[in-house]
Amino acid sequence: MSTTFVRLVPAFSVAVPLMAAAVLAPFTRCCTRAVSSVVTTVACGLVLGMTLFLLFYSSAHGTIVHWMGGWEPSHGTAIGISFAVDPMGAGLAAFVALLVLCATVYTWIAVDLVGTLLHVLLLAFLGAMCGYALTGDLFNMFVWFELMTAAAIALTSHKIEEASSISGAINLAVTNSLGGFLVLFGIALLYGKTDALNLAQIGEALAKQPIDAALTASFALIVCGYFVKGAVAPFHFWLDDAHAVAPTPVCLLFSGIMVQLALYGVARIYFGAFAASFAPHVCAIGGLFLGVGIATALLGALMAYAQRHLKRLLAFSTVSHSGMFVAAIGLFQPGAIAATALFIAAHGLVKSALFVCAGTYLNRFRSLDECVLGGRGREAPANSAMFLIGGVALAACPPFAISVAKAAFDRAMDARGLAAVSLLMALVSAIDAGAVLRSGLHITFGIGNAQDTGISPREEEPETIGDHLESTPWTMLAVPAALLALALWLGVDERIWHGIERAGAVFVDRHSYVGAVLGGHSLPLPDASGPKQTAVSLTLNLSATALAIAIALAGLFRHRIPRQLKVASRPFAFLRNLHSGKFADYVAYLMVGVAAYGCWLVVALPR
Amino acid sequence: MNVLAYLPYAVSFWIFAMGCYGLVRCRNLIAAVLALAVAQSSTYVLLLSIGFHKQAGAPIFSPTNPVGSPAVDPIVQALTLTDIVVGATVSALILALSIQIHRRTSCIDPERLSPMSE
Repeated sequence: MSTTFVRLVPAFSVAVPLMAAAVLAPFTRCCTRAVSSVVTTVACGLVLGMTLFLLFYSSAHGTIVHWMGGWEPSHGTAIGISFAVDPMGAGLAAFVALLVLCATVYTWIAVDLVGTLLHVLLLAFLGAMCGYALTGDLFNMFVWFELMTAAAIALTSHKIEEASSISGAINLAVTNSLGGFLVLFGIALLYGKTDALNLAQIGEALAKQPIDAALTASFALIVCGYFVKGAVAPFHFWLDDAHAVAPTPVCLLFSGIMVQLALYGVARIYFGAFAASFAPHVCAIGGLFLGVGIATALLGALMAYAQRHLKRLLAFSTVSHSGMFVAAIGLFQPGAIAATALFIAAHGLVKSALFVCAGTYLNRFRSLDECVLGGRGREAPANSAMFLIGGVALAACPPFAISVAKAAFDRAMDARGLAAVSLLMALVSAIDAGAVLRSGLHITFGIGNAQDTGISPREEEPETIGDHLESTPWTMLAVPAALLALALWLGVDERIWHGIERAGAVFVDRHSYVGAVLGGHSLPLPDASGPKQTAVSLTLNLSATALAIAIALAGLFRHRIPRQLKVASRPFAFLRNLHSGKFADYVAYLMVGVAAYGCWLVVALPR
Repeated sequence: MNVLAYLPYAVSFWIFAMGCYGLVRCRNLIAAVLALAVAQSSTYVLLLSIGFHKQAGAPIFSPTNPVGSPAVDPIVQALTLTDIVVGATVSALILALSIQIHRRTSCIDPERLSPMSE
């Protein structure tokens, strides 16, 4: 196969969804649901096919580099904008395409499309996320990032008739815009130091320079900016507001991949640009990542447990998983990166399935409130069963893929002597999954007393056309079933983990990246064959699952627990008050967070 | 050390901080959009100051300003232009949402709106 053709595929996997969106956009009022569904589904399918091809091709032959408009580097200096596709980037893009395809299938039947605007926005979102995952240019990455934000704002305010929905979208818009400005500050400082925007070129230039204040500042700004979208404390506040009001297919994409893409950006820029300078001080940076990771994981899990609004509960569980991803990335080591990649995929599949099940409850019973739904899950048995299976899978129960990722995570932590962190993270995922299982059990079987939080139960508008659904359409059952089956397959198939391990080794190798982008010669991937699961990790995962079930039952029968054993609810009230829903507060927290991150890095890194 | 060399950074930081202060204190969504625009203009200042060279002209070459004569960096100008477009998109979106929120609740005070209540 000619390599010219292969090098065009990355460009087309971005162009196809954007062109499809442009074709659909003028006809949002007159285009029928069927036509729009077919166009969107075909476009998503094409992108999925192309990105899977990129994944397999780059796994076999090394990084694929495409220079837009044929502006190839001259004398080792990048002039044009490049797409540099390594297996990790291609895999993420394929995962994006898969989730957008699932979201599209979900919208085939009954979901209110607002003309066909929902499909147009989904396609633009897909194009932005693919471009972001594939690009090798820092400013190009920023532009895709901002396009993602713009599409996300519009998608969140989908239910334009509800003030709460718009206010969630405004919170997202304000905080994520500020995050974008921080990233741009960081990119500008990097450009000032290196006169380059190409990631490989920046890495080459920085390797020859000592660390100075501008470099530290640009790293701090880029990390803070991406952590806003990555929902890391104290920048995560927009996330639960947006999830609570966004339609289900949008929640699926936010929690499933958008948040994680921001963390991918941090890792990509670290290994591409900063690794050369910061490698001797990796412990200082890792300490920051580990600290905020643990804080975010605990905060997210506690807040998830304190919720009874299903989408908010799942959103906080995403926050706590973001914390785990950040802690793992903070090891800056290929095994940990591979573990994070598998964790992101597995979590994305399971969380998306859970969101779809929650959306079905909303469309059937006009509520997302655990108390209102109590016992009604029996009327939708397949949906309830999948919700409970999703909860168990979230607790890292083998053989679901999260358990394999957790095992790799534990190995990476152990190698650094951080076994305590693995235990803590097992506890966090048990609390998370415990919250999901508690609401699942209460909704399905009506057992136990739901929590009394003093909020009156309320009804919500379903996302479908008409009042509410009498029965669940097959699309709303097929999507979570397929997602859970995939999560199972990723956990069972041996080749997956080995492939990801090799991709992780390439991802952290700056020299092979530079060689592929600027030198034009790609190296094939190294071999890797670590153990998949050990007896220790299996035991840990099974006990985390058991603990999750225990926590769920404790939540259901909390009125029977002796008063002395109850965890004080005061911290919950404090945490709850922090999440005020006002963007003014969120901006203040954001400034405090930037100052704190900046201080840590300035103190910990040499000046 | 030339103190003046750091002036653009200080100005940029000041503008960003003022924009954020505006966002924290605003009682009107239109004001919030303006505060966001102020915060964003700090990025323009930083970008343009990074591409600035003393005694250099605009990067447009002509017989009076031949190729090879000193010019400021055109790339940061292109970046600024892209950034302006991005900012305009987000401003337009938030303004549209503000209009909609005013239609629904006849109120555009962000302190009285919450995604948690209807």
